[in-house]
Amino acid sequence: MQSSSRNKVGLVFFPAFDWCITPDHPEREERLLYTRDQIVEEGLLDVPGIEEFRPRVAEDVEISRAHVCVPSVGSVITQSHRIAAGGTMVAADLVLTGRVSRSFALLRPPGHHANRIVHGSRGFCTINNEAIMVEHVRRTYGSHLRIAIVDTDAHHADGTQDIFYNDPGILHISLHQDGRTLYPGTGFIHERGGPAAYGQTVNVPLPPGTGDEGVLYVIENLVLPILADFEPDLVINAAGQDNHYTDPLTNMQVTAQGYARLTELLSPDIVVLEGGYSIEGALPYVNAGLLLALAGLDYSAVREPDWSEEKVKQPPHISETIEKTVAQLWQMWRTRKDVDLERIFGHGPFFTRQRRIYYDTDNITEEQVEKIRLCPACSGWRVIQSGAARGWGVPLGRVTVIAAVLIPWHACEDCRREADEEFDRLQKSGRFRYVYLQDVERDIYKRV
Amino acid sequence: MYIAGIDVGGTNTDAALIKDNEVVATGKVPTDHVNLVESTAAALETILGSYRGTEPLELHLSTTLSTNSIVEGRGDPALVLAVPGPGMRIEDLRLGFAVHQLSGSVDHRGREVAPIDREEVKAAMNAAREAGMEVLAVVGKFSHRNPSQELTIEALAREGDYRFRHITLGHRLSGRPNFPRRLATSYLNASVAGQQARFVEMVRRLMLEGRNIGKVYLLKADGGTMTLEDSLVRPVETILSGPAASLMGARALSNHQEGNAIIVDIGGTTTDMAVQAAGEPVFQPQGAEIAGHRTLVPALFVRSIGLGGDSEIRVLCRRENGQTSRQLVIGPKRAGIPAALGGSRPTPTDAAVVLGMTSVGDVHRARKAVAELAGALGIGVEETARKIIDGFVRQLVEAVEDIYQYLESRPVYTVSELLAPRDIRPRVLIGLGGPAQVFIPLAARAMGIDWEVLPYHEEANAIGAAASRPTAAVTYHADTALGVAAVPEMDYTGEIQKAMLFDIRKAREEARRWAIEKGKELGVLDPDDIAIVEEESFNVVRGFYTIGRIFTIRAQVRPQVRRIVPGAERGEPNAVQQS
Ligand SMILES: [Zn+2]
Ligand SMILES: [Zn+2]
Repeated sequence: MQSSSRNKVGLVFFPAFDWCITPDHPEREERLLYTRDQIVEEGLLDVPGIEEFRPRVAEDVEISRAHVCVPSVGSVITQSHRIAAGGTMVAADLVLTGRVSRSFALLRPPGHHANRIVHGSRGFCTINNEAIMVEHVRRTYGSHLRIAIVDTDAHHADGTQDIFYNDPGILHISLHQDGRTLYPGTGFIHERGGPAAYGQTVNVPLPPGTGDEGVLYVIENLVLPILADFEPDLVINAAGQDNHYTDPLTNMQVTAQGYARLTELLSPDIVVLEGGYSIEGALPYVNAGLLLALAGLDYSAVREPDWSEEKVKQPPHISETIEKTVAQLWQMWRTRKDVDLERIFGHGPFFTRQRRIYYDTDNITEEQVEKIRLCPACSGWRVIQSGAARGWGVPLGRVTVIAAVLIPWHACEDCRREADEEFDRLQKSGRFRYVYLQDVERDIYKRV
Repeated sequence: MYIAGIDVGGTNTDAALIKDNEVVATGKVPTDHVNLVESTAAALETILGSYRGTEPLELHLSTTLSTNSIVEGRGDPALVLAVPGPGMRIEDLRLGFAVHQLSGSVDHRGREVAPIDREEVKAAMNAAREAGMEVLAVVGKFSHRNPSQELTIEALAREGDYRFRHITLGHRLSGRPNFPRRLATSYLNASVAGQQARFVEMVRRLMLEGRNIGKVYLLKADGGTMTLEDSLVRPVETILSGPAASLMGARALSNHQEGNAIIVDIGGTTTDMAVQAAGEPVFQPQGAEIAGHRTLVPALFVRSIGLGGDSEIRVLCRRENGQTSRQLVIGPKRAGIPAALGGSRPTPTDAAVVLGMTSVGDVHRARKAVAELAGALGIGVEETARKIIDGFVRQLVEAVEDIYQYLESRPVYTVSELLAPRDIRPRVLIGLGGPAQVFIPLAARAMGIDWEVLPYHEEANAIGAAASRPTAAVTYHADTALGVAAVPEMDYTGEIQKAMLFDIRKAREEARRWAIEKGKELGVLDPDDIAIVEEESFNVVRGFYTIGRIFTIRAQVRPQVRRIVPGAERGEPNAVQQS
């Protein structure tokens, strides 16, 4: 793609001015108000080549391709979640049908903390907009499409990682503030993906205080080389804007200029807004810069009112730390296929992992046991057993226990048969409140 | 009560005289561009014979003079001073006129971020005066939230010895956001101000020449009127009043004043279409586009397509699976006058003549022209004529559908609007224009709705001018966290007293109060004519506390039109059909 030429950009803008988690929650009506004011006042919607589109309402089946919602899709989400997911799919359709060359889903609520199993909301997210879009793209435009997701939100994209962690078609790179210093406390470099996609989960923890210099260093020296190597058909940027130096929830130093340059370097096909809660000091400027960069226009005059060089300067010791991390991660990427997977995942027939997941927004604790079939012919069917209840640690209410059988894209005959048998067996066992089947290739989603 | 409506068009000047709700006379003269007073007076004379009143005559004027001077690039050279602050580079806006950029900046909540540099302002003004620029436009980004920097520059312009003949400040023209549009609107306003002053001078002379003329109003692009005095401040609003005049004429003459309708004005070359929803006209989303400039000027939503009674008809050959199919395409170019009336090529009007749907001109000539196409298609003359009519109707219905799809796909920013979109689909097709009687009933049947064909065509513009009423809107913006409120259109900024008690009801009250004030200036005295049309309200939360609220409320004088019935001089009632 030529960066010098002007690109046709599709903007799906949906600020959901009548929706909030609670009236004083960061995810409230006001969040994109000043962004709207800035974009409209700048006249960005009149720029030839930038066209605005309406989102649509995502249907249950579209959400079920990426999630197992407990007890049902309709019970865990509101209409605005459906619109955010629907708008993200519209953004994808605009690019994949050739109507625009790039698109930007500037909408809320966000989604990158939403896992495959959804008992409620965590990290302000309930369903994962990027994941729903990816499944929509594979269903509509071809299941062999190779898709890269580059998540530049300040928080680790743990939900997106969870959904695609064993998916060989997906490369997931997350840049974020070091999990030892910020929610959700994950996203370390040793988290590299499941047996069928080992190395395709790339986590880049950044020290608090990282600024434009550090983030752009990672893009240029790690993300772009990995993308060149992976050769994706589609690059998605999950563009959280909470690395900004004014963000109240994080400790990073990135500026609007940094975000615009990042966008220019990455030249993603689709950009999806994630977090970002400096609604006055950051979002209006970051989004203006981002739109200009996407359209291939000059963004050099975009500047925050309180910007100063000293404020956003990145200390030298941080640069050193980042350079070391990048060198290590590049080495890990290059040698990912040499790793002895049996040493990590055993020799089967199943690999089992156990996790506890806390839903901070809804105060729910979930315990999960996941079994992946180690299959030489495909990425392997999976079964997740999940129990969840209100409360943290000690359950406050009834524990809902479910099981979900997942059949991946391009599953082999044996895996399909085993998965179907498992689904029957779990149903008959009577141990679960609900048993789910998610079969993306046949587009079958069952709950019994 | 008598009202005279005059539409000064590029070719003709049309006039209509209305008594109460009835058309009593219409007239037409060629427009004399060299001596406009003469031709305008002559148009007035054509209808004054029917004036039997004693009270002064109210005069409504619609003119395309400003539009023409912009299109032809005859506006006065203007110094445009911009305070852009950070953001998109002005050089990339492709404005099509020169802008002098100043330092200073205001942010999205109207807070001053960087001050004006007075010396810089003075230097720019001096240079412009030396270059012979006599009019000035001043525009700041976010000046609709805080106009103080524009006002400071205006004060500097008046203090010094610059003697600008006219000064436009961006915030006075519109309370709506969009800096590039505010720039273009202000630039156009400043450059046509001189022309408008001369026009107003002419109108005043017309009034002095012994005619009993009372109030004079000018038609605007939104189909409403403004006072002569106001037009000196906001001349840009009179631009594009031409299409508005005809469509207002249609609204005035229609039996369907309430509800949803599509108004279709079928001419010889083009068809203009406008939309009425819940009894009110639909406006351009942000503002009119004038000679390639996107502006904030309120304007009726009008779509034009190249389809009319004189349209060219072509036979399109398409080859598919070894089979050749022939299809008729009508427009967008004009073929010339219909063959029935002496033209050389077949037109949709000729097809209607062949089928006996209308009785204009010579049927033999029409048959001969349509027969040529019939030969190319290898079918009979009548069948060809039917295909032409069907093709015209299909193209018209498709164009109408496009309009609704466009309007219905406009972005919305709330969940409730997205889930329950407003129903704007038409229940009736209102048609005017020469070919309307042929095509409107067929198009309405294809759309499954009622239709109505209005008896006036060429005079609809003058009738529309006469029937139109004042319109105006104000934008009330209050930010209780900052303790400030502004009504840019009224040049008001002030502090909010007892900000903690200031709620949405109080904000609505204030918005209404300002709109009533504005209405009074225009002679609108009934508070029921004031309506709130847009409303936004947000809590401002910092930390975990609500520290205030932001309200933006737009209130307007309702866009109304005087109901007009065809006079005895015409006799025909509106043709109507319930489908
Ligand atoms: Zn975040
Ligand atoms: Zn398998």
